[in-house]
Amino acid sequence: MSNPKLMDYARILRSKNAGAFVLTIDVIFKDQQAYDHVTRSAALDAQIIANRYQVPSEDVRIIAYPQVLAIKVTMPRLVGSGDLADSDVYGSQQHVPLMYLPVTTTGTA
Amino acid sequence: MLAATACIGYGFTKEALEAAMTQGIDFIGADAGSMDPGPYYLGAGKPYVSEQSIERDLELLLLAARKADVPLIIGSCGGGGGEPHLELTRSIVQALIGRHKLSLKLAIIHSEPPRELMVRRLQEGRIHGIWPGFDLNEETLEKSTRIVAMMGADPLIEAISRGADVILAGRCSDSAIYAAVPQMRGFSPGLAWHLGKTIECGATIASPKTGQDCIIGTLGHDSFVVEPAHPDKRCTPSSVAAHTMYENPSPFEFVEPSGIVDTSQCQYEAINDRAVRVSGSTFTPASRYTVKLEGADLCGWRAIVIAGIRDPILIAGIREFSEQIKERTAQQALGMGITTDQYTLTIRRYGLDAVLGSREPQAYEMPHEIGLMLDVVAQTEQQALAVLAKARYIAMHTEFDGRLCTAGNVAMPFSPSDVSVGPAYRFTVWHAMELDDPLEVFPIEYIQFNESGEKVE
Repeated sequence: MSNPKLMDYARILRSKNAGAFVLTIDVIFKDQQAYDHVTRSAALDAQIIANRYQVPSEDVRIIAYPQVLAIKVTMPRLVGSGDLADSDVYGSQQHVPLMYLPVTTTGTA
Repeated sequence: MLAATACIGYGFTKEALEAAMTQGIDFIGADAGSMDPGPYYLGAGKPYVSEQSIERDLELLLLAARKADVPLIIGSCGGGGGEPHLELTRSIVQALIGRHKLSLKLAIIHSEPPRELMVRRLQEGRIHGIWPGFDLNEETLEKSTRIVAMMGADPLIEAISRGADVILAGRCSDSAIYAAVPQMRGFSPGLAWHLGKTIECGATIASPKTGQDCIIGTLGHDSFVVEPAHPDKRCTPSSVAAHTMYENPSPFEFVEPSGIVDTSQCQYEAINDRAVRVSGSTFTPASRYTVKLEGADLCGWRAIVIAGIRDPILIAGIREFSEQIKERTAQQALGMGITTDQYTLTIRRYGLDAVLGSREPQAYEMPHEIGLMLDVVAQTEQQALAVLAKARYIAMHTEFDGRLCTAGNVAMPFSPSDVSVGPAYRFTVWHAMELDDPLEVFPIEYIQFNESGEKVE
């Protein structure tokens, strides 16, 4: 795969509100190999994700859920659900910046 | 126990309900609300499903529950669980009781705490932020259009122990609907709450995903089993385990009023090709009992214009053009005596960056067509329409670099072009409040109906 992206390894890549002020993104991988490859890579870095989503890196929570081959990324919403400037009340289309995250192996980037 | 559907009004199949009721169900539960559709429904006191669909679902469930003589517990009635939501659900249920001549004891659990109490708790430092958190002041607690408190299992336990056959609960933890009866009967709270969390979305955990449907939960002393009620659906260990992530910040921790459920040590195993056994959930009681407060406030009146831009020269300069619309609208509004702090104009550019905004990874790629939405929220409907009419005119006729299309910049799909959307709300309270007693802000009203389905005074 040339220039592999996170979406190339995912079976499900979705976003949703976790309450009115928190956004949560679930990446469920295709198989154990994909899960292992991505979790060992440098891709899921809080600072990189924070830059993409324009939130402070200390607010990006990355939680591995190996039982279902998943990674969960949770962060504050930019504005509350349904607030004047909001564009996505359910938070259901906020996964796209993560889709294009480059997956490179640690040390070889 | 039976979880009838993810939400009253989303529906379920009669086949699944009938199949479940032959299996010795102890009680039927259904959630009826969420804050996911945004602040409008809470603020405006309206449901986000139709009254017809609420009536359809409740009629089948009421009849099934009465026939089997088991409790029916509905949480977060009417969507928001506020007084108008409860009132709507109560009127539907009372009409059904009368129509079918049902004899039963109805409990209605209110969940709009008194404003003075909330203000006092704030002064005492007993209202806390929920991550990521924001400040709350007394004025917000006094002035917000509606504030509900999300109950745990305790008010439901109280109503059942007083003989309620049907419970209409205001804003209620989804899982509590299913955790209440098991807790009364001495089952492990960790398993009871985790089972509740697993089935509260009904057949969301089952496949094929053809509409909403019923799920059966069976609780034992060291594990629980979930299984779809519809014979054609199935659950797998990963579909069940994956649900602990859904709409939740963490898959391993669920915060409830009475404590925290930990699922990090859970085992999920298939017991056949349709059912899954779960074990290992634990529960840590909270050091202080808290309920989440959810509040919404009117923030103005909204009016919108939807239009399209196809002109490639305008699309190339769309960012500058958007700024011009904002600047010129501000000048024109000022001419009518409306200042920029009295309204907001949001320009949504569908096809370019309306959805992801500044997070858009492909913002540099210019589309060949852009859907333009002018979205004004102002202090009155009249004011919103006045500002919008200016913004629309400016979008239509403003000069831009290289302009050839001097008769009009945007394509309007219909006449009238300007649409009044009505009141707009925003979430103003999203905090945890300490209670002195789990029932403190959840008064319960009981109504007895006789064999003719009439109220007994």
